[in-house]
Amino acid sequence: MTTMLFDSEKIQSLRTQEPQHPWRRRTPKFTWSVALAVVIPALIAGYFLFATAIPDPIVIIIIYLPLQLLAAGVAAAVSKGKNGVADAFIYVLAIGGSIFSLVILISLIVTLFINGLKAVSVSFLTQNNFYISPSTSLEYGGVAHAVLGTLLIVFISMLVAIPVGIATAIYVTEVRGRAVPYVRFFVQAMSGVPSVVAGLFILTVLILTGAMGPSAFAGGLAYAILMLPTVARTAEEVLRLIPEDLRTGALALGSTRARTVLQVVLPAAKTGIVTAIVLGMARVVGETAPLVLVTGTSDATVYNPFNSPIAALPTYIFGNVAQPFPDAVTRAWGAALVLIIIVAILFVIARIIGRGKVK
Amino acid sequence: MAGTEVMRDLQSAATSHRGDRIFNRTITALAFTALAVLAGITVFLGAQAVPVFQTLGISYLTTTAWDLTTTPPQAGIFGMLYGSVLLSVIGLVIAIPAALLLAIFMVFLAPPALAKVLTNVVDLMAAIPSVIIGLWAFYILNPVAEEWEILLNQYLGFIPIFQNNSGNFLGTPFIAGFVLAIMMIPIITAVSREVLARTPPELINASESLGGSLWTMLRYVALPYGRGGIVGGIMLGLGRALGETIAIFFVLKIVFDTNWYQIIESGGGSVASLIVSKFGEASAGLEIQLLLAAGFFLFVLTLIVNVIANLIVSRTGRLQR
Repeated sequence: MTTMLFDSEKIQSLRTQEPQHPWRRRTPKFTWSVALAVVIPALIAGYFLFATAIPDPIVIIIIYLPLQLLAAGVAAAVSKGKNGVADAFIYVLAIGGSIFSLVILISLIVTLFINGLKAVSVSFLTQNNFYISPSTSLEYGGVAHAVLGTLLIVFISMLVAIPVGIATAIYVTEVRGRAVPYVRFFVQAMSGVPSVVAGLFILTVLILTGAMGPSAFAGGLAYAILMLPTVARTAEEVLRLIPEDLRTGALALGSTRARTVLQVVLPAAKTGIVTAIVLGMARVVGETAPLVLVTGTSDATVYNPFNSPIAALPTYIFGNVAQPFPDAVTRAWGAALVLIIIVAILFVIARIIGRGKVK
Repeated sequence: MAGTEVMRDLQSAATSHRGDRIFNRTITALAFTALAVLAGITVFLGAQAVPVFQTLGISYLTTTAWDLTTTPPQAGIFGMLYGSVLLSVIGLVIAIPAALLLAIFMVFLAPPALAKVLTNVVDLMAAIPSVIIGLWAFYILNPVAEEWEILLNQYLGFIPIFQNNSGNFLGTPFIAGFVLAIMMIPIITAVSREVLARTPPELINASESLGGSLWTMLRYVALPYGRGGIVGGIMLGLGRALGETIAIFFVLKIVFDTNWYQIIESGGGSVASLIVSKFGEASAGLEIQLLLAAGFFLFVLTLIVNVIANLIVSRTGRLQR
């Protein structure tokens, strides 16, 4: 024992060492060839883009991309030898693929703000659509009724999905019954239910049977189907992080299992549970298909969740997108902007809470 | 291990308490809600499919038609089911390379700060509601994609899939597939990024110390290691794509005539969008039942894809732990 050949701690530190990534090592020759490999194809492609009539997509795909690959390959061959050529191709393709996704996302966000801000005003945020036709100018009418409707529907879905979702998580992490693998499997399967199918289910059970008409309550139940798996899975992950000592400690002090869960485990996981709830809200708030099927739509502000069709932001956007009137389309963009800001706020809240939890 | 045994003893001792039994039973009952919902969907939508089959027989699944004014009414969703699969395949062809390259860039190439930004970007992309993607695709993507399609037709029109006879390049499977790709990219990227990031550093270091380059490391270490997870992520993306409704509704012209392969020809099919597009005008009992039956088959299809995806993901997750 005393004459150990290898220092086991040192070996351990080597084992877990961060990879060195030798392909990141830079020499002056490398830097120069990369710079040339970036600039030359860009200049040539720029010439074709602006000085010739060849369509842009053809320039990018037929001229720029092969040229960039060739240049990167040559640069790699010069500075790193022939083993570097494949690496250079990967670099070019990976950066290209990332730019492709980024361009789409930036286009989405930018057009959303440019078009949405045309519609957003104080009246747009505070009025409903009651006296509004698709051709009414933008000074009148707004999405207040749709925002209220969305909040009401999401609130109803929370009343159902949060207790059930957290109970599911408690079953998996605290009760630990025999059916744990099955319960987890069903929750995972449920997370794949298409939103339109959730809507059809509620439609069949509640509306076609005549139990109730299109309403916020029906929409809330459809949303709950979509929200439940998110809440259950996130809450389960959070409860797993609670140290076992807390549970054994509480039991050792003579507390019952129910009190252990309700007064020790859940309070300890409070912020994580809130994160799970917020993520569940963000998951459903923009879902459109179920609402098209089960809430109908309304131009007035509706407070009664049971007996009246109700407007919501997604259905408001849905109804205005393909209207032949430019102002109606602008309303759709405005409502989309409001919706994405609500989603963004929910995610920021989840992030902030989540960050506090890690410490 | 002793800890779990103690825990088990404590549990059995504690569950003898009456309040605890009630607590346990309540929680257990609630935990089976997911199963109840899945069973409910199967029973209620399946029950609606029965009369449809009694009226139309198997032709509901094997033909493509939607004419309820004739007697007997003609209806078949084969073109819609096929269309859903075709759109998903187009989406996957675009999304898999884009998502994998993005994941590789984030894990192995990008500076850590940039990788963090990109992670948030991917999360943001996943969070955009599909109705907003549909709105964007209808007004912003459509004209751009039309230009691409005309070019494809002009230069590659001799390939059958790029034929277009109508001269209308809007409402095509290509545009709808592209929209699906936008929705699949964040899912596939997120899962791939996670499995690639879990490649054991000692394997990467070993590959490097043997003189391996980035390419050999990816080819022989990282990609084989993460293969199961990546395939699972792709299947999850596929499940999302098959069930996507609203965005497709805006960009695809639904026609009841199976569009087999002409991806830049106007008109195609999608089960999910069919349901929403026909729901507004559906009045009589039969048409609603037809749509509910379509929903039932959509549910079965996505359930199978998702179960396979989750099995793959969880199995690789266990292997790697």
